[in-house]
Amino acid sequence: MSARQKAMVNKHPFDAGRAAYLALNTLLLTFLLAPIAIVLVFALNPTPYISFPPVGVSLRWFEKFFAGTEFMNALWLSLWIAGVVLVLSVLIGGACALALARGNLPGRSSLTAFFMSPLMLPAILTGLALFQAYLLSGIGRPVWGLILAHTLVAVPYVIRTTLAVLHNFDRRIEEAAAVLGASPARVFFEVTLPLIRPGVFAGGVFAFIVSFDQFPVSLFLVVPKGETLPVVLFNYMKFDLDGAIAAASMVSILLALSVVLVLERLIGLKAYVKL
Amino acid sequence: MISRHMISRRTALRTGAGLAAVAAVGAPSILHAQTKTLKITTWGGKWGEVMKATVLPAFEKEFKCTVSADQAFPFVPKLQASSKTDPIYDVLHTNSNEQWNSLTEGLVMAKITAKEVPNVADVYPYAVSDKIVGVTIFTSAIGLGYRTDKGLAKPTSWKDLADPKLAGARGGYIIPVNSLGQCHLMMLGKVYGKGLTDLDAAYKALEALKPIKLVDFTGQMEKMLLSGEVSMGVIHDSGVYRYDGPNMQPVDFASPSEGVLALEQVLNVTPGSKVKELAFAYIDYMLRPDVQKLLAEAVWYSPANTKVKLDAKYDAKLLTTPAKVATLIQPDWKWYNARKEDIDARVTKILKG
Amino acid sequence: MMTRARPSPIAWLVAPAALLFVLFFVLPFGVMAVMSFYSGNPVTNPNAFATTRHYERFIFDTAGIYHDALWATLRIGLITTIVSLLIGYPLAHWMARMQSRLGHALVLMAVIAPMLTGIVVRTFAWMTILQDKGVINTLLIQWGFADKPLPLMYNEFGTVVALVHIYVPFMVLTLTGVIGRIDERLEQAARSLGAGRLRAFAEVTLPLSLPGILAGSLLVFALSISAYVTPSLMGGTNVLTLPMLIAQQVGTSFNPNFAGALGVVLLLVSLAIVIAYNRILARLSGEQGMA
Repeated sequence: MSARQKAMVNKHPFDAGRAAYLALNTLLLTFLLAPIAIVLVFALNPTPYISFPPVGVSLRWFEKFFAGTEFMNALWLSLWIAGVVLVLSVLIGGACALALARGNLPGRSSLTAFFMSPLMLPAILTGLALFQAYLLSGIGRPVWGLILAHTLVAVPYVIRTTLAVLHNFDRRIEEAAAVLGASPARVFFEVTLPLIRPGVFAGGVFAFIVSFDQFPVSLFLVVPKGETLPVVLFNYMKFDLDGAIAAASMVSILLALSVVLVLERLIGLKAYVKL
Repeated sequence: MISRHMISRRTALRTGAGLAAVAAVGAPSILHAQTKTLKITTWGGKWGEVMKATVLPAFEKEFKCTVSADQAFPFVPKLQASSKTDPIYDVLHTNSNEQWNSLTEGLVMAKITAKEVPNVADVYPYAVSDKIVGVTIFTSAIGLGYRTDKGLAKPTSWKDLADPKLAGARGGYIIPVNSLGQCHLMMLGKVYGKGLTDLDAAYKALEALKPIKLVDFTGQMEKMLLSGEVSMGVIHDSGVYRYDGPNMQPVDFASPSEGVLALEQVLNVTPGSKVKELAFAYIDYMLRPDVQKLLAEAVWYSPANTKVKLDAKYDAKLLTTPAKVATLIQPDWKWYNARKEDIDARVTKILKG
Repeated sequence: MMTRARPSPIAWLVAPAALLFVLFFVLPFGVMAVMSFYSGNPVTNPNAFATTRHYERFIFDTAGIYHDALWATLRIGLITTIVSLLIGYPLAHWMARMQSRLGHALVLMAVIAPMLTGIVVRTFAWMTILQDKGVINTLLIQWGFADKPLPLMYNEFGTVVALVHIYVPFMVLTLTGVIGRIDERLEQAARSLGAGRLRAFAEVTLPLSLPGILAGSLLVFALSISAYVTPSLMGGTNVLTLPMLIAQQVGTSFNPNFAGALGVVLLLVSLAIVIAYNRILARLSGEQGMA
């Protein structure tokens, strides 16, 4: 056992206090995961309506989901839109957070509140307002219009999380690097950026999820054959409440989780704990 | 108003030019640019599946056009926000109440006759009555759905919903957002008061229905009945009958003696549409007996065309004879919509408890 | 302590966000706010005229439901925020302090999964759990803890539960970064000086995580006061919030002008609360406030 592993073993002694802490967290996790377990049960339940207790196991809803091109197309569209939104909002939101935290802008707190405002408005209004604006200006409803609309509602998250990390930031590390001769650009890319990376990553995860799960804004801005998954599911559900939407949900959870897992491996939320 | 003659010539010229272009270049993008696009709205679920798989492709082939079908409900706000001279839809498919709303804003045409849509000559009177804006292609009957395994007698009156035994086990709708709920409210006025417009009686009766479980849309009511969450609820016949088959549950539909309300599927054309002739052709197509039969049997709607012959099991339950159709009550949506804001506020207060 | 110097060149980084917001937020909402002072859409409807009746309708509330809707919105928002914080903090703390990379990844997946279920399906899952014939009531009755089903749905309780479920992940992800950056050795130092684990936490970690608490709470509050799909599906008519009213006005009353007016009211009230919250807490915790 290495010295590090030894230290790890001793870090959290297992006693009543620790047990209570773990029990509490397990309970809370159960709260979070219970509905998903239910969704899985629906997805496998053969009856065409949602009920408890389940009557059996069947793959028919998954078959229906994969056989239907509409669901699959919507899923891929949602995924790649979310990916683009992720990149855009991280760049735009990260830059904005830096400016807010370091740029000595006048009216900083009002500006921050301003950038948070899309979150406070019901998204149906955002969708309608953008729809009206797009039609008035003759843009119509192109995909990039949808992407930018998603970016608008995703950027506040990135700004929030990046600001939170920047706040606890020890500037002396940057100053040390500068004293040692690094240029401002180099300080930024080799010191600042890696250290705020976890905050930006958390924001990016939000952005991805917010876009992937976005419903009201998409409702107005999607076009026939270009609908995102939440829109397709909602409209399916209005007329046919069966296990197909549960299957769709399971598949999209798994896919989106894989994306997040890959991102985590690449960028690393774990880097938070160091320093 | 452009005459049909001119439109036909323009269509012929355009089609001719299109064909020539195809012959010359053969590029798919050019072909696409020359065919007309018909922008319609459609429901999702089973209806949407049948439309996309069978009905729309056949229409596109026969009329040499592309159909762009928007499934993202709600449709009227989008139509409202688009310009009148370049509307976002050519054909609007909604229930009757929304057509009336759209008419008030000048978004749809007031009357469609057999002149524009020949098959209108074959429909039941309700389909183009003065209570309808546009053309009804299907209807359902709004009545009471109930569970047959809870020891309940088959309801014979709308008043059976108020049975004290059903407290907490009956279902209704959030009236501001659901037209079945709105129909139910008006029916309460008729059953307990002087008629469909007797709101005072309706409000009193609504108060007496508490406690009642309220949902947003019919799909939820269907599930509540199927899972036994409620023993009786306001629902249209299609919502009960469509579960016929291997997953049949002990749920049945009852047409109360006071009458059933009509939940119509209405098509209309936007005045600013640039492809009006095609839009009328589409409505005519949807009224063809074979198309009507296909869709009616897929989702258990009653077809508006009198010449449709459904299979026996559908024919038995749906409204396919003049006698059965006579039980349909069509509400005055123009009257209701004018008062909707006040009614919404009032029922919200009543049902909030 | 930063003195109020001139804006540094870094300030220019705000430009892309500013551009995006001006074009896609300020302008469209500006148009909507202008329309809230009209009876119809002045661009497509030549009969539309300027009026303040939409605002009067809200302020005077002769219908008796609009003010209630505003209070319900704020109340549900507040309760949701507090409960999300209580649930999210322990989870964030656990995740931030976790040693194993695998464990960390697993908890991360578990925390994020609820956000990915999709708004529609997730609500139906809660229906299955909370309704009269749902999981909880069926089990309670079976085990004899209750003889009638508890009303867990179609009321504010069900709405709050469903909203908390959606927003706890946001709280956790915001908090976990901040908690993770707090050096554990600070807590250990306090413990070595004689403080118990709980006290060390309360007097060292908790205050240092305040920026995260503020950020998370603001985020969840903002989100929960603008939510309408979940309250609609979970609350029946027992719950009527301002966003639900707005959605009704847009989707079934076809009155985007009134909806816009309600939106303006909601935005002003929320901004006022957010700015006040920021200022008060900034003063309370010295320079630690999220300015």
